[in-house]
Amino acid sequence: MADQATDAEAPFGPAGLFGPADLERRLRSGGVGPEDRAGIGEIKDEVLKHLDEHVAAFFEHLASFPEAQALLRRPDLMEEARRLERDHLVAMASGTYDRDYVEQRFRLGRLYNRAQLDVALFMGAFHAQMSSIGRRIMQRYAKDAVGGFARFSAFKKIAFVDLGIVVDAMMTEREGTIRRQQQAILELSTPALQVRERLLILPIIGLLDTFRAKQLTDGLLKAIRAHRAKVVVMDLTGVSTVDSKVANHLIQTVAAARLMGATVIVTGLSSDVAQSLVTLGVDLSRLNTIGDLQGGIEEAERILGPASPRIERRPAVG
Amino acid sequence: MSVPILKQGDVLIASIQSALTDRDLLQLKDELAEKVGRLRSRGVVIDVTALDVMDSFATRTIRSIAAATRLRGAETVVVGIQPEVAIALVELGLTLDGIATALDLEEGLDVLVEVMEARRRDR
Repeated sequence: MADQATDAEAPFGPAGLFGPADLERRLRSGGVGPEDRAGIGEIKDEVLKHLDEHVAAFFEHLASFPEAQALLRRPDLMEEARRLERDHLVAMASGTYDRDYVEQRFRLGRLYNRAQLDVALFMGAFHAQMSSIGRRIMQRYAKDAVGGFARFSAFKKIAFVDLGIVVDAMMTEREGTIRRQQQAILELSTPALQVRERLLILPIIGLLDTFRAKQLTDGLLKAIRAHRAKVVVMDLTGVSTVDSKVANHLIQTVAAARLMGATVIVTGLSSDVAQSLVTLGVDLSRLNTIGDLQGGIEEAERILGPASPRIERRPAVG
Repeated sequence: MSVPILKQGDVLIASIQSALTDRDLLQLKDELAEKVGRLRSRGVVIDVTALDVMDSFATRTIRSIAAATRLRGAETVVVGIQPEVAIALVELGLTLDGIATALDLEEGLDVLVEVMEARRRDR
């Protein structure tokens, strides 16, 4: 079972992210010294004796939060989570902190991400678990409160190092998700639609950044050649902000399209965008701008008009 | 390599086939200016479809060809600028202002007719 889990999580590559030196550094940063390891050794049996109770404390804390239901309602995830939490405590108490230990922590972080468990909520549950352990230790060392506290402190140091690893795992995983989503958004590239012979419409929706603006220029010029476009209506209705960099890029796009023999009409600049561009002092006088998409298409029809037989047949107005 | 200049009605078509040296470009300029006068042409089409690089000298020469032929009574249209070339030119600030451009030769001839008519009307 453990092997299976390792295979499934292989691409996560803890080895790549975490070397032995890194673990050493983390333990050092956490202030874990030899006396702490010794202290943990002394309370190991105490922790293991009430293992189920401590694991239960973790999930009891989660149970009261609606955000955690995604995890709690999934028996498969829960089973794995319980098993990993159990292994987690055993590993923490055992006193050997090696590569397997880190990988186990990564699996846990990954699992909580899959269950969309909030980092703050995880922290809360983790604390509940530590309290449960602390209570047992303090009970056992009731006559030697200072000694009990020292041992619990040692255990807590490891717990904090541990927390750092799990949270890093959750963050790394989350950043990966964000990267994948960004990629997906990029791939939904801006389409160039042919409305009639020689007329393209380029609806731009969402955030324009420099990278996307570059991609847009590229796509538009290729579309102009592919569709033999003479007029392009670039509709910015769906764009809520344009900064000076992007505005300059749009101006360049228009200039490049002109070099290829196409006229670009820009439509749908919202009043906010228009005002911010004016405030920024971007010179848009070289752009052919028209209020809305309809107006833009009408203007395009006017430019293309004489070539269209439909309009040629119209009697001349005397 | 010199550029062949074809006569089609009252239009001259200069079709650039490969990358040109500065000397070739200057020769093209001289030839066009001379032929426009000799053949009484009204328009010039410069086809750059085959070029995947255009530098500042090439664009400057094209501009001066347009200016010179206009003085000799002919309008110039540049056709076939590739997307990559267009982006590069714009990034270098070489936007060929004041010169008509078109997608390809066919389109260029149409544009030339429009430009020539507009010019005739202006007179």
